[in-house]
Amino acid sequence: MNSQNSHMVALRDVTMEFEDKKVLDDLSLTVEPQERLVIMGQSGSGKSTILRLILGILRPHTGEVFFKQFEITRLKRRKLQQVRHDIGMVYQYSALLSSRNVRDNVALPLEELTTKSRKEIDKIVDQKLDLVGMKDARDLTPSELSGGMKKRVSLARALTMEPELVLFDEPTAGLDPVIASVIDELIISLTDNAKVTSIVVTHEMSSAFRVGTRMAMLYQGKIIEDADPETFKNSQNPVVAQFLSGSTEGPILEGSQDAIAKK
Amino acid sequence: MPDQKQDSTEEVLIAAPVIALQEIGNIGGGLLREVGSIFWFIINTIEETIERVREGRVPFTASSFFRHAERAGVDSVPLVGLVSFFLGLTMALLTGYQLQRFGTERLVPGLVSIGFTRELGPLITGIMLAARIGAAFTAELGTMTVSEEVEAIEAMGIGPLRFLVAPRMLALFFLMPCLSTISNISAIFATSLISKAYFSIAFPYFIDLVRDSLLIRDLITGVMKSFLFGVLIAAIACYRGLNVKGGAAGVGSATTSSVVTAITVVIGVDTLYNVVYTNFFPT
Repeated sequence: MNSQNSHMVALRDVTMEFEDKKVLDDLSLTVEPQERLVIMGQSGSGKSTILRLILGILRPHTGEVFFKQFEITRLKRRKLQQVRHDIGMVYQYSALLSSRNVRDNVALPLEELTTKSRKEIDKIVDQKLDLVGMKDARDLTPSELSGGMKKRVSLARALTMEPELVLFDEPTAGLDPVIASVIDELIISLTDNAKVTSIVVTHEMSSAFRVGTRMAMLYQGKIIEDADPETFKNSQNPVVAQFLSGSTEGPILEGSQDAIAKK
Repeated sequence: MPDQKQDSTEEVLIAAPVIALQEIGNIGGGLLREVGSIFWFIINTIEETIERVREGRVPFTASSFFRHAERAGVDSVPLVGLVSFFLGLTMALLTGYQLQRFGTERLVPGLVSIGFTRELGPLITGIMLAARIGAAFTAELGTMTVSEEVEAIEAMGIGPLRFLVAPRMLALFFLMPCLSTISNISAIFATSLISKAYFSIAFPYFIDLVRDSLLIRDLITGVMKSFLFGVLIAAIACYRGLNVKGGAAGVGSATTSSVVTAITVVIGVDTLYNVVYTNFFPT
């Protein structure tokens, strides 16, 4: 257990199955403090599953998941809830509570998990909303926000508890290039200003290379490439090369080549 | 070929009882699993709530509780009152005409009031709340589950059972006996109107007859049942809502299943309660 202490996150020999389909196969991965790890992979390859394993929402069939010195897989409910205070999560579809306005959404963790006064909470909420440029939307409900605005509010909510680790599930998917860049810069500034470690799951190339200090490629349940962005870009691995080029020729579509040929 | 066909038919016939038994076993096993899951769901909700209270924090805000209480309780008053009023009218009228043939229509006030306070009041209210509020709870929590809101709450380190289920369960727990009482009062009021109009029982005499026939244990039985039904309806509705799978269609089928399960459970538990009650506390 002590050997895990220096890592922010460590997954060791993790296997995960959904209805007989092996999504993660003996996967091992470590994330160091203040790193921005980008996990790439096809849709449905298990990228989001990794984030849910780190949060302890899913439990692996075999293997261990560590967050700092805590073995997530063995924690009791109460302890797990406390550990989650140090982890922020930004969901692909924002997952804002539709019955609450922006202010109440961002204030939720503070109201529920701290004993801060309303005044203090309002101050923190304003500060976080200001950080993501959403201070004016304070009183709007999620249904009145666009996709990009929702994402930014979701990010503000993830940051309210000053987490050490923030997990991003497709943070820029479906956003226009300008807002995508704003989100990317926010992610980068988190490491620079608040010493936050980030794990970003995405398949948006431009975003991935802008944000990542380390890149990992998930394919058929395993990490097949794990390197700094420059090395990753020039990877000799045919799967990585095909994924980066977006070509239809290569090992990724081998099974469905005939179907494509017919088209 | 015909021989082969006969053989396979015979095989199927021989296997039929086994298959039927397997199916019954599967259904029985599934049912027991469900009962167990809902039981643990209630226990976990109570446990999470108590844990929070022990930390010296309120488990949920008063506004959250009152919002659900208003929706489940206050807003249900017209429906419960009206349906019980009509049922009271019908019951008084039908039993009155039968009893009139033997000259015992004086029994109508007692019969309807005992019937409602002990049995029909909580039962009818339970069925109506299962349909009206159970469906709403399941659809609401189901939609939250599908849109990952529940997971986001969990990911923040907030207990979703304590935060989402406990206020709903407590609201129904406290509001159900109140609504049962309203149901009883409107049914008895309806009976008084019928008694006056058709059987010439004046209002003061009606009150005397009701008071003579009602026992305190009838009232307590009804109230106890109502508390129990309130928890069960809320638990089933929330359980179904939080276990939704498969998008909008999943929310739809979970809502149907929630209403059907809650109504069946309310009637089933009512029967069980009566069997136990009459065996251990015979009149």
